[in-house]
Amino acid sequence: MKRVFVALLVGCLALLTATATAQETVKIGVITSLTGRFAEFGEQHKAGIQAALEDVNAAGGVNGAAVEVVFEDDISEVNAALTAGEKLVNQGLPLVMGAYSSGITNPLAQYFTRQQRPFLVFTSSDDAITRPGSDWIFRINQPSYAYAQVLFDVFDAINAERGAGTLKTVVTVHGNGAFESAVADAVDVIAAERGYTVLQRQDYDQAGADFRPILNRFKTLNPDILFMVSYAADSVALMRQVQEVGLDAKVFAGGAAGFALPGFIEGSGPAADYVFTATMWTKDVPYPGAQDLNARLSAILGRTPSYHAAQAYAAVITAVDVLKRAASFSPADVRAALLATNMPDTVYGPIRFEDYQGYKNQAPLPAVAEQVVNGDFVTVYVNGQVVGDLLETPSWNAR
Amino acid sequence: MTGSPDRGPDAGAGPPPAAPSAAPGPASRALTPWLERGGAPWLGLAGVAAAGAAWYVVFPSSLSLGIGLLLLAGWASAWDLLGGWTGQTSLGHAAFVGLGAYVVGVTATKYGLAPWWSVLLAMALAAVLAFLWGRITFGLRGSYFVLSSIAVAEILRLIAINERKLTGGAIGLFIFDLDRPFGLDLFSRHTEFWLALGYLLLVLATTLLVTRGKLGYQMRAVREDEASAQAAGINPVSVKSLAFMLSAALTALGGCIYGIFLSALQPQPLFELHLSVRIALVAIIGGRGTLFGPLIGAAMLTLAGELFRNAFAEANLLIYGLLIVIVVLFVPRGLMGELRRRAVRRRYAKSAGG
Amino acid sequence: MEWLAPFLQNLTGGLLIGGIYALIGVGLSLIFGVMRIINFAHGEFVAVGMYTAIVLFQRLGMDPYVALLVAAPLGFVLGAALQRVVLHRLIDAPADSTLLATLGLALVLSNVLFLIFGAEPKSIYLPYATATVTLGGVRLPVAQLIAGAITLVVIVGLWLILTRTEVGRAVRATAQNRLGAELVGIDTPRIHALVFGIGMALAMCAGVILAPLLFAVPTVGSSYTLKAFVVTVLGGLGSVPGAIGGGLLLGVVEFLGASYLSSGYRDAYGLFAFLLILLLRPEGLFGRTVKRV
Repeated sequence: MKRVFVALLVGCLALLTATATAQETVKIGVITSLTGRFAEFGEQHKAGIQAALEDVNAAGGVNGAAVEVVFEDDISEVNAALTAGEKLVNQGLPLVMGAYSSGITNPLAQYFTRQQRPFLVFTSSDDAITRPGSDWIFRINQPSYAYAQVLFDVFDAINAERGAGTLKTVVTVHGNGAFESAVADAVDVIAAERGYTVLQRQDYDQAGADFRPILNRFKTLNPDILFMVSYAADSVALMRQVQEVGLDAKVFAGGAAGFALPGFIEGSGPAADYVFTATMWTKDVPYPGAQDLNARLSAILGRTPSYHAAQAYAAVITAVDVLKRAASFSPADVRAALLATNMPDTVYGPIRFEDYQGYKNQAPLPAVAEQVVNGDFVTVYVNGQVVGDLLETPSWNAR
Repeated sequence: MTGSPDRGPDAGAGPPPAAPSAAPGPASRALTPWLERGGAPWLGLAGVAAAGAAWYVVFPSSLSLGIGLLLLAGWASAWDLLGGWTGQTSLGHAAFVGLGAYVVGVTATKYGLAPWWSVLLAMALAAVLAFLWGRITFGLRGSYFVLSSIAVAEILRLIAINERKLTGGAIGLFIFDLDRPFGLDLFSRHTEFWLALGYLLLVLATTLLVTRGKLGYQMRAVREDEASAQAAGINPVSVKSLAFMLSAALTALGGCIYGIFLSALQPQPLFELHLSVRIALVAIIGGRGTLFGPLIGAAMLTLAGELFRNAFAEANLLIYGLLIVIVVLFVPRGLMGELRRRAVRRRYAKSAGG
Repeated sequence: MEWLAPFLQNLTGGLLIGGIYALIGVGLSLIFGVMRIINFAHGEFVAVGMYTAIVLFQRLGMDPYVALLVAAPLGFVLGAALQRVVLHRLIDAPADSTLLATLGLALVLSNVLFLIFGAEPKSIYLPYATATVTLGGVRLPVAQLIAGAITLVVIVGLWLILTRTEVGRAVRATAQNRLGAELVGIDTPRIHALVFGIGMALAMCAGVILAPLLFAVPTVGSSYTLKAFVVTVLGGLGSVPGAIGGGLLLGVVEFLGASYLSSGYRDAYGLFAFLLILLLRPEGLFGRTVKRV
């Protein structure tokens, strides 16, 4: 009745209003970028969510009720995301999750905090989302700090293997987006804590990818470690130009998604070899069912999944676990259930939400480090342990 | 730049007519003389206020969309003071949106300044920036102003990214706390909706008053022919500068509201060229140099964008681009400008016919 | 003298990238000089050139420097067609209208690139892309040297056409005085189509040359449009030799700024120079006079 009335009254604008909800299912809201610039990642999310829904509904859903996901496409724009957030809040969904880009998730987090509704973040890694964070924002995935941290763990391990003082000095080059800047900030902090010296830090604008001036500058500094933080294409251009300029460092480290994608090796060719990269999840992580999930996601996507799909999978599993335990679907009760979350062996690692190092409601998961060896990623550092050989980087002339 | 979108017979004289939606039904006899003396646009303004209130009642769960629409309409109307009424196309108005948002953000988070002071500061800074910017470019003949407008917005974006101490850099600035003027929670979508509506009405009222005053006639004179305007004793540089300062301050005011609305400010979306283009485009489609044109343009694009969200996500620039080309080629006056031209023609035809 | 080698390295780096900016700027300046329009779609044609090279490389394995032979005529035809279909209708419209029309075309082109190729960046991997030759302590990337050589050839070719041929005389006549040119029997609409075609062919060439050096994203065009504006204003709007000087200057300013000041402001250095020129010498460093109000 209500829908008919609204449709009569406002005609085409009826699309904007909330639709009536069925009683037999439990709905979870997901705001992600299904179209636009970040559509690639939205697709990964969708695959992970599809796999997770199959699993949770086969296992009885939320106390017998089937679980359904309401997708809201933020078209990779912040205004559309806020409109979508308002819509989902007004539909009274017990839990909403999202989104890909930190630039979109940050305003969403602010909005949900103000509305006092729980919001689950599973991909955006900007530190600021959970540091300082708020009572209502929970994050499964590792914050940007973890990208830098795992690589410094590798540097420490190299120093332990080859003698203290092998690696001392760092130069950082990073894109000027929110995520890259946050990782570069983490490099500064961790380097200071662990006794490394950051000789110089340079950023570049996303539009231009001529790194030669920066690399020429770095070359005169003779750094031990070249720390690079950039997205896909920049990582390729960077490594090619590092080779062209002839910048030799003892370690090349790529602290962001761009270096962990297959495209990095394809694009850079042999220049990619020996580079260490940080990633959030691989099929080789020592968590139960990782290989299996990777195979299923590959089947859904028709290509190699990125870790974003696994993050989305973990988010749905967690959300269902939370809603099962919640006393009611009121925001306060769902929040209480989120706080009490303790899932020791998910495929994404142990998930619980803690307050530590200034973070709030953040799952304290470590990242994973890989090294490129003969055109392939080899997992070398997981969960605080070296699991492969840390190969020495030959100089460019010796390759 | 002598280009003008509006060379209708009444261009440069006479008040702009009201939007068709605002046309009164059976006007009472007492109302008619007032309407003919130029009351019609005020009635239109009241119509806009009523439409805004109606949105609030009918779509209580789509306030974000409404705020976006109202702000875009306000920016486009402010843009039109310079771009339409004075004939100086700017493709850098995002600079003022970003400036407004950042001034509120920086002063609130770093200095704990009350929002009304930051708003005044933002408007003043925008006016100063516009003044200096006008000094550099308005004295030159040719398309220098348009070119510089892109450059200035781009420089501001790079400053916002690089001056991390002030702006939080790329990671951005988060507004957690604001004073509550008159007990209003500025972070509530309800408050923000009424603020945005009030902002649009303020811009429209300012436009109406200015364009009917002396400055308005000077602006149109400069738009139509700078040399003749100069011969008539008008200083084109100062007229253009005044219009620009007014336009900039009003845009920055909307930027302040937008900053509070987002409460997480990042340089990329606030200063990007596409925002500038969208502001200009909305005004051009709706009709440059008309009171309600920018509003109509903003409403059309925003609602179409929401209804066809998926199509827009993949192809919004394609749609904008085609719209610009189509409007420039076939409807150079924009929707409202075209309607007005037809209305004027009919009036002339009628008076000529008898 | 320890600073000298890196300085020479940076200087040559700046000159090499500046050569490509010059190639982009020359087209824009030529179009402005003859047609009096500011072409906002200029950078988008650079982007189209990049994607043309990428497609030819990936599908046919064609070396990008061979792809020039395809891209240049393609750019010419596309440009001439656009002029005939869209811009020709606006020949007597206010300057703003053509500017907005080309802006619209720019948005359409970049969105079409996005729809075809997606948002992920694309690039060409040439085995010799990272090769260098060393000359007096300065490492010169082979790919950039080739790019510089091609730029030189193209610009010299353009100069010969403009100064040594009958068509070139007609182009210069149209630039000086359209009405006068028409009076002596020059088909100015044809000249306009020709000039726009040449401008777009130059932009496409620049794109092809850039393809192996950088990488292509659909939105890359607008940054090249902006660079082209800076180049032409530095050199003087409408001046072809000025654009060459402006391009080289912009390349050096950016490169040195990024090397010795802060790389984060790399794109801002050119823009500051642009505003400074408007303030101090709006006719450009190499231009003649500009009308003031």
